Amino acid sequence: MSMITSSNRQSGQRKGGFRRNENNRIYANPLPLIFSPIEHTRIWPSHILLGILGFSSSRIANPHCEGIFDAATRSVWVSNAEDSMTLWRRGFFGKGNLSRSEPSWLARRINARKIAENGLTAEEVTAKRRAERKQFKLDRAQAIAEAAAAAELAFSEGRIITTEETGIVIPSAATWKPHSSTAPKPTVPPPLADDNIEEEEDIPENMEHLQLTLQEAFFLLWTMDCLSVLDPNTNTAMSVQQIWIAFQAAHFPPHLPIDTASILSAHRFDNPFLINYAVYHHYRSLGWVVKNGIKFCADYMLYKRGPVFHHAEFAVVVCPVYEDPSDQESSPFDLQNASPFAWSWLSTINRVNSQVQKTLILTYVTIPARSRIPASLLSTPACLRQYSVREVTIRRFIPARMRD
Amino acid sequence: MQNHASVSYPILSPYLSKYPRVAGAIFQTYNDLLLAQQWTDLDVVDLPSCSRCGFRGRRPQTEATLSVVPCSLAESISISWLTSALKSFHDTEHIYLAITAEDSSIVYYKISPGIVKPPI
Repeated sequence: MSMITSSNRQSGQRKGGFRRNENNRIYANPLPLIFSPIEHTRIWPSHILLGILGFSSSRIANPHCEGIFDAATRSVWVSNAEDSMTLWRRGFFGKGNLSRSEPSWLARRINARKIAENGLTAEEVTAKRRAERKQFKLDRAQAIAEAAAAAELAFSEGRIITTEETGIVIPSAATWKPHSSTAPKPTVPPPLADDNIEEEEDIPENMEHLQLTLQEAFFLLWTMDCLSVLDPNTNTAMSVQQIWIAFQAAHFPPHLPIDTASILSAHRFDNPFLINYAVYHHYRSLGWVVKNGIKFCADYMLYKRGPVFHHAEFAVVVCPVYEDPSDQESSPFDLQNASPFAWSWLSTINRVNSQVQKTLILTYVTIPARSRIPASLLSTPACLRQYSVREVTIRRFIPARMRD
Repeated sequence: MQNHASVSYPILSPYLSKYPRVAGAIFQTYNDLLLAQQWTDLDVVDLPSCSRCGFRGRRPQTEATLSVVPCSLAESISISWLTSALKSFHDTEHIYLAITAEDSSIVYYKISPGIVKPPI
């Protein structure tokens, strides 16, 4: 659905059921692969025959997306607009690097030029709401100051009055209305053939790409084979083996050569890529949509269907646990939350997420010991079997209120 | 860095090679300020005491010049690091700390020296 909208459409259509049905239609596929059943033959349906033998007769449509590996930002960039849309709409993979979620930078630039006052992207809606809330807070603060000044004045005359008696109304969030805009009302120019040609030349170059984390990219290419990753220096596709090594090498200091030998000789199972991939794969394979949780003090957010449907219900904090404590002392990585944490830290994160009605999950990932597992396992994803992932849900217990 | 980031790469390349560990954070922050936030008069400032570079610029339709220091979510930073960052921008009262994540999310925190009363 285009985010570049003309201004005269009925704004009521954007709300409620219309938006929900549109979203159900656009985001119908939970994964980039689409399974479509083959047409039945007349005499003996082949799908039943195959079904008896244990084969699926569905045809799989694979979008075969392409991305480029970028070691500095530890991500895979998808520049092709169609691939970006496919990966976002089928499973909410990735994030526009200049947008809040869906790549909408070009649409916002075009909207800004078209002076479309009703067609707003998500960022613009949020910006408008924040500006209105700021204005409301200013009005309220001013009203409070006026009421206080009036009370002071009355007190100096020897009377004590209440807020109602001052006659000043302090606005509340429910009753405050935004002021009519002082900016000149934007007019929509009538569409002309010449204007259309000018606008097409004026369309800015799309400077945005869809950014996939290393975990998302590896999940797509390893479990579904729907993404190929190109080497940035040669522009050729990398093999799964090369990608597995390169993604691990991305977390080492930049001077480490990116080859299997150096990864194996480093022999580190606490590579942040491996730990995060274990967590990402765990939740994705259970059907959750996993996104970044930086805005909520957490590592990941879990969505049941996707960000466009409902707010995330869970915030995940990854707590790595070393099987062998000496591995932690020799670690070249600065792993967060690997040591026992203070109660104040836990309390802070829990409060932040309780405010936004999310449940906090502590996900413990056990890192295998170097002494027990040989380095050769690091050359393939087989080493992931050595990691265990366990969850603990944290909710604040208030004895006075929770009697049942 | 890829070819469609051709606008920012020439300006940033000396800093990206000088500070390879934070090259990703520098690049993402500069692109966000320039293209998404639409800042004007965007300049790069070398901050050797923090082993990275920072940025100064103006938000659209404002006059005040603001200072930004990029960092990555994986880093651990200390109060002394923040103090040296504040000192490195000579004539500013506060700086913005840009915390970048691998999925390209950026969160900006306003850091001021001492206690600051909330605006409202």
